[in-house]
Amino acid sequence: MKTLLKTVLIALRNLNRQKRRTFLLGGAIAFGIAIVTLINGFAGSFVENVSENFSNLLAGHIFVQGVEKTAAGKEYRTIADDGILLDIMTEQEMPVTFVSKRSEFTGSLIFQGESIRQTVVGVDWDEEQYLRERLVLLEGDFENMLVMNDRGERNGIILTEAIAEALNVELGERIIARMRTVAGQQNVGEFVLAGVSYDPGLFGQLAAYADLSYVNELLTLQPKQYQTLGIFLTDLGLIDQEAERYYEVLSQRVNVFDRAVEEDGQNPVEALFEQADEQTWTGVRYRLFTLNDVLSEVDEIVRLLNGAALVILLVLFVIIMVGITNTFRMIMYERVKEIGTMRALGMQRPRVQVLFLLEAFFLAMGGVAFGLVVAGIIMLILSRIYLGLDSAIFILLKNGYFTFTVRPLQVAMNTGIVAALTLLAAFLPSRKAALMPPVDALRA
Amino acid sequence: MNRITYTSILIAVFVALTPVWVAAEDPDFDTILSEIDDLANFADSDFSAVYTIISERPGEEREVTQARLFRRDLNDQFLILILQPEVQRGQGYLQVDENVWFYDPESRKFERTTIRENIQNSDAQNADLDRSSFSTDYTVQSWQEGTLGNFEVYVVDLEATSSDVAYDQVRLWIRRDQTIVLKEEDFSVNGRLMRTVFYPRYERVGNKIIPKQVLIVDELNDGERTQLTMTDATTQTIPDSVFSKAYLERVSN
Repeated sequence: MKTLLKTVLIALRNLNRQKRRTFLLGGAIAFGIAIVTLINGFAGSFVENVSENFSNLLAGHIFVQGVEKTAAGKEYRTIADDGILLDIMTEQEMPVTFVSKRSEFTGSLIFQGESIRQTVVGVDWDEEQYLRERLVLLEGDFENMLVMNDRGERNGIILTEAIAEALNVELGERIIARMRTVAGQQNVGEFVLAGVSYDPGLFGQLAAYADLSYVNELLTLQPKQYQTLGIFLTDLGLIDQEAERYYEVLSQRVNVFDRAVEEDGQNPVEALFEQADEQTWTGVRYRLFTLNDVLSEVDEIVRLLNGAALVILLVLFVIIMVGITNTFRMIMYERVKEIGTMRALGMQRPRVQVLFLLEAFFLAMGGVAFGLVVAGIIMLILSRIYLGLDSAIFILLKNGYFTFTVRPLQVAMNTGIVAALTLLAAFLPSRKAALMPPVDALRA
Repeated sequence: MNRITYTSILIAVFVALTPVWVAAEDPDFDTILSEIDDLANFADSDFSAVYTIISERPGEEREVTQARLFRRDLNDQFLILILQPEVQRGQGYLQVDENVWFYDPESRKFERTTIRENIQNSDAQNADLDRSSFSTDYTVQSWQEGTLGNFEVYVVDLEATSSDVAYDQVRLWIRRDQTIVLKEEDFSVNGRLMRTVFYPRYERVGNKIIPKQVLIVDELNDGERTQLTMTDATTQTIPDSVFSKAYLERVSN
């Protein structure tokens, strides 16, 4: 034990003797680990942030839709009576913060000769606060959505900046919507532009928002009916577990679509919708899907990001390994006489090798520690910069800020890889040093 | 006045008024609508033709789409194969029973669609090329006599019997001397005029009379209109294999 401690001290002293070299080698390791940690940290919070932002836009974590199908094969999407759906939620004591009720259509918005395809989502503006907090209005006001026209309809509409520009429409102007009812018949809506929302570009294609009652009227749904029930849970992490619990009870009480039918690589929501195309039934059949189902591709992005981080780590460290091997070979030649003296004084071969390997190990650990500190500082700085909800990458942010989630296991794995590669790089030079005959070493 | 004289006068008045009463009788629109359908439907033979669809939108170049239509009304089947433009060549719409499929050779996938979908970017719908079914899909709500150009017409308001049709309300201008539709107005569920369809030219194909030229005016978007022109119409028998997904896949490659 005492011998090992001494060896450790000698190794640390050796590192300290060549400060510049140690700093450069350790710096290279630190750079690599900092980059990889940043990517891992970003990927770690990616799913959470994207999920949270999408849950606000889609108004829920768990979604239930009612679907009817006629003998002629036509599908009607409607929830006429949500009593059972809400009862199950209460009976199961689900950790629910909010329930949204929405209807939507996709049609053509027409204004003075311009026409554009757009999904229009009907929102209960009296109830839904989430959307008001998330949707950044560049023009207009949410209060405009509560204004009734002379027919008693709340026909305000909020368009994204891009759509408003494409239509060349301004606040207060009337827009015609050509759309279809739930039964597929042609219908016409007349909206007044009540607000223009920020268009997040890359992740754009946000829906236009209108009042639920007017969208229902155009879809020929009754005022109390709607198409999608969205359930907000207290925690994103509970989605799968709560969805399973809810689905189990739901399937015992009403007719439901099978949730586990997707083929390899197929989006689970897509698979659910295909079932409706292929099957026939009578009455209402409910389909349940979750935000995780909708964003199943996001998990793939995270896997890709972590995979890329690992590849970067390996490439960087292969380059660093070459540097370490050369450096230790150099160190060995520089310390030939020292090795000879130590060997002549009775130091055994394995201890010489351990000395070199310990040097490499401490170098790696120092680099890793420094790299983690640097990554931490960068993360801290980035997470303090407010990019706003109207940022082009708002969907990746949490309330307008970058967030990073560094998982200890991943850090441990990266550290292990760095340590292993560094020891591997130092192994041959250390072995050569250990095998050097003391006489030859002293003579050199 | 004795009883015989009184009866004679009554009979004379009745006989004298009968033509007036007959003349004032409502036209039998059930029969008229059935005749319109019969004239455009091919119950005893197949029908195929090439349709050139020219769409005009304000501020945009006009789009020309050419499509070949194959129809077998007996089995409620049709196939529309896009011939032009080149980028959409091979796309097709196939109706088998109640199902309408859209095929895109690029993705090599069939997607479910409906007879009420528009053909490409035009205002023409699949239903505009399909068999006519006014008599079964609509009931007459009201009518009046009128003129359209040089023609005396019945202006008939129809209401859909179910939600299976695209337009809930339709107004037809039907020639009084010959049972053909000259003009049609299509209304939304909430009663707004969506499009006006003119049928300026008809062509006899076999023993049927079908529109050779159709002009569809979009009433919601000023300046948007679509013109359909029919050519190469024939009632020759179409092979059964044409009305299949396999045929669409084969001819599209």
